[in-house]
Amino acid sequence: MRDRSMRSAVFRARTSDEFANQQSFDQAVAGLVRSIPIPPDIAEWFSAKDLVSPSKWTWKKTVRNPAVLAIGIALVVIAGVLVFQFVARLNDFPGSATARKLLTIAASTRSVLLDPVSADAGTLSDLFFMKHGLEHYDVPAEFADFRTIGCRVFEDDQSQRVAQIWVAEKRIQFFLFPAERDVKTGAVLRFPGWRYVHQEGWVAAVTEHNGVCFMAALPGREKDLAPYISKTKQ
Amino acid sequence: MLGDARKAQEIFQTTLREAALRAAHGELPKEPFWLFRDARWRCLEASETDLQAEPLEIDEHDIVPEAPSQIEQLEPAQLAIWISSAPDPQRTALTLFYLDEFDYREILDLAELKLSELSRLLAVGRRQFQAWLDAMLPKKPNV
Repeated sequence: MRDRSMRSAVFRARTSDEFANQQSFDQAVAGLVRSIPIPPDIAEWFSAKDLVSPSKWTWKKTVRNPAVLAIGIALVVIAGVLVFQFVARLNDFPGSATARKLLTIAASTRSVLLDPVSADAGTLSDLFFMKHGLEHYDVPAEFADFRTIGCRVFEDDQSQRVAQIWVAEKRIQFFLFPAERDVKTGAVLRFPGWRYVHQEGWVAAVTEHNGVCFMAALPGREKDLAPYISKTKQ
Repeated sequence: MLGDARKAQEIFQTTLREAALRAAHGELPKEPFWLFRDARWRCLEASETDLQAEPLEIDEHDIVPEAPSQIEQLEPAQLAIWISSAPDPQRTALTLFYLDEFDYREILDLAELKLSELSRLLAVGRRQFQAWLDAMLPKKPNV
């Protein structure tokens, strides 16, 4: 019996007397039918050939098979996850992991946590160098004129020193952090122009210069940040 | 289906002849049971011209353990006549089921029935046949 429901129905009924009687009744009738003599000229038609051709394999039948359907859905989901990861990795660049972590920090930071500083962002390079010994922590020209509210220097979970600047415009925050380096050679892993990262409703544009990454972040989408980026973005 | 070997043979040959003609014209249907379906309709058409059994309230009995021994006493022709006198689609259902060549899905397809209908027709057919056996033949203990 190919059919599962029929098998389970027979399994349930197999112990009842009525079912046993029915089975022996059916077998007896079928036996009597088999004993019907078939004229020789007709019998030769049924010699060795199967008059009913086996049902043909079709895509429709295969797709309707629950096992095939389940495997198909699983493969689609796996493929979807792989494609999603591949697309996510397409936008990766050296330092993108750190940039995403810093976006989380940006989302949770309150301005009161920063030291109040009211100045042009471009002028804070000297402060970082003189007060904290951070070389090349320069704000790019695109953002140098933004007025700051506050800034701070802290160490991230990899003991890298990160400079954070809060500016007055649109809750934008800047981050300066060491660029990623080759594990073997120690050489800075450079990338040209600006790269975008997204994290939980925040977007950031990151660029690398002199071994230091600069990141401008704001809550919103890429189009909100794009106008600030110079036309040299890649 | 007919209870008449001569008629059955005629219909078999007519069906095959028709099939051969269709094959020659490349018009054979793709579905697997077309030959049986064709033969079934020919049988039904042929039996329409026969004497028709009067519609009667037929007794129904529970199937008894002695039924196999009762059936052993029957001639195949008696069974054929009994089945052929049943109204269609019960006749088709009983014929295809007791031919023991088709699974129930194939029977549903061929007889153009729903599963519940087939089940009811077979159940009623068994009980009616048991009543007929009880009326016609003495029960022997089933050893």
